[in-house]
Amino acid sequence: MLKVSGLSVAYGGLQALAGVSLEVAEGEFVAIVGPNGAGKSTLMKAVAGGVSLAAGSIEYRGQDIGGLPSHARARLGIAHVPEGRKVFPSLTVLENLEMGSYRPAARRRRADGLDTVFGLFPVLRERRDQLAGSLSGGEQQMLALGRGLMAQPDLLLLDEPSQGLGPRIVEGIFEAIAAIRKSHRVTILLVEQRVVEALELCDRGYVLETGRVVLGGDRETLLADPRVQHAYLGT
Amino acid sequence: MPLGDLVQYVVTGLLVGGVYALMSIGLALIFGVMKVVNFAQGDFMMLGMYLTYFLAVGYGVDPLLGALLTIPPFFVLGLLVHRTLLVRVTGGGNPQRLMDAQLILTLGLSLIITNATTMILTPMPRGIQTAYATQAFAVGPILMNQARSYAFLMALVLAGLVYVFLTRTDVGKALRAAADEPEAAGYQGIDVRAMHGLAFGVGIALVAAAGGLLATYHPIEPTVAVNFIVLMFVAVVLGGLGSIPGAFAGGLVIGLVQSLTLLVLPFQLQNAGVFIAFLLVLYLRPQGLFGQRLRAV
Ligand SMILES: Nc1ncnc2c1ncn2[C@@H]1O[C@H](COP(=O)(O)OP(=O)(O)O)[C@@H](O)[C@H]1O
Ligand SMILES: [Mg+2]
Repeated sequence: MLKVSGLSVAYGGLQALAGVSLEVAEGEFVAIVGPNGAGKSTLMKAVAGGVSLAAGSIEYRGQDIGGLPSHARARLGIAHVPEGRKVFPSLTVLENLEMGSYRPAARRRRADGLDTVFGLFPVLRERRDQLAGSLSGGEQQMLALGRGLMAQPDLLLLDEPSQGLGPRIVEGIFEAIAAIRKSHRVTILLVEQRVVEALELCDRGYVLETGRVVLGGDRETLLADPRVQHAYLGT
Repeated sequence: MPLGDLVQYVVTGLLVGGVYALMSIGLALIFGVMKVVNFAQGDFMMLGMYLTYFLAVGYGVDPLLGALLTIPPFFVLGLLVHRTLLVRVTGGGNPQRLMDAQLILTLGLSLIITNATTMILTPMPRGIQTAYATQAFAVGPILMNQARSYAFLMALVLAGLVYVFLTRTDVGKALRAAADEPEAAGYQGIDVRAMHGLAFGVGIALVAAAGGLLATYHPIEPTVAVNFIVLMFVAVVLGGLGSIPGAFAGGLVIGLVQSLTLLVLPFQLQNAGVFIAFLLVLYLRPQGLFGQRLRAV
């Protein structure tokens, strides 16, 4: 479904990604882990259209999307839940969710989407008329996830949904991701610092370090890899 | 001073303030969505006054209707100005250099429009003669100039329509989303550049319509912009930068303060009161009357 080949991205002179290649098949759940500054968020932005490519290509369902602006990619069914949530603070919770289903294909199924999201996160229903900027961090993360789901995406990009949240809330977020995965036939690409949880949820994963893929494989292989165990699992 | 006089000044101030409010929400919309301070806003207002004037003298169109008729052409003009000029100084790049470029562009635009208008139409002030400009509604002892009353009502209706558009339609909400978090807006499928164009088109159309309403009782001349652009800026800052309801309230407050200033100062110093009120608000409530909570709505 998604094929990234030889992808390089630079910010000014600084190279953030250097020749990254990876693939995600339809229906798969793929995790990307790696230390801070490895380029994980840059990779997600590059797929979603938030940064421009210096080299390489991004293919989505056989179409080269590397030159498309982000809104055009969203319309193709790619939903990006960016790092730091980036909800619309001066819009209400409900309006944020409505904007998640802005693309025409999702607008028609808005009522279904709202049912799903409110089922997963009942607190969002309670706070539907509250401004998103007044929510707690955990609630904002739920809103960002919910907004992504409202797009009825075919490919869901999740960038550190656990960032800055307490352990109880993180557990809830990961449960929600597992539930989304089960009930929707959505392909997921997840970036996480919480390596154990991410690798346990996924089918396959990649390890990214200083802009390069240094390791890739299925869940068991990665969890058993001595380098992963040493660097990320603390064993 | 008798109470009736005070009420009279308040009513007169609010009537004028309604038109200020309409012109100010155009500026606030453009600033809120694009983060561009449009110094040419007053000049588009002036062009709206002239279009209304020529519709009135050329085709006998009532200026209240003429003000509405300015909306479509100025909306298109706004889209074109955005597409050809403003896209070059918005979007990606070094923010400081972008701001400099925006300043030069909109100030330059303002100078060109003012001077071209002076050259083509001469500096001579013009006015539209209507029956209602010199008549007043009497509510008890209070007199309400008819032109100002109609202009006030139409400004209120137009501002209300903008509010409904921004809060009840998907495109309006997308406009606010693009103002809040442009990057995330793109990820939802919102074309942020198109939203900039829309904000600029609507912002210009509103200020042109406000100009048309103003033309029912205010002389029309090429340099009329300078008096009003300052008032618009004050209204937008008073209301909390980029807030639409805030700019609306700011416009009303300015009309009110201008009018009440006449109680203590001569006509030529009308705007002194506005600036004193402005400094007071900035000192007491630097985030503006409406603070942050209603930003960009
Ligand atoms: N907007 C930006 N401007 C300049 N440098 C950036 C920007 N975003 C990220 N970087 C740099 O790019 C590298 C990769 O960052 P990022 O993709 O955020 O990594 P990760 O998500 O893995 O922590 C880092 O060195 C970071 O400092
Ligand atoms: Mg990151």
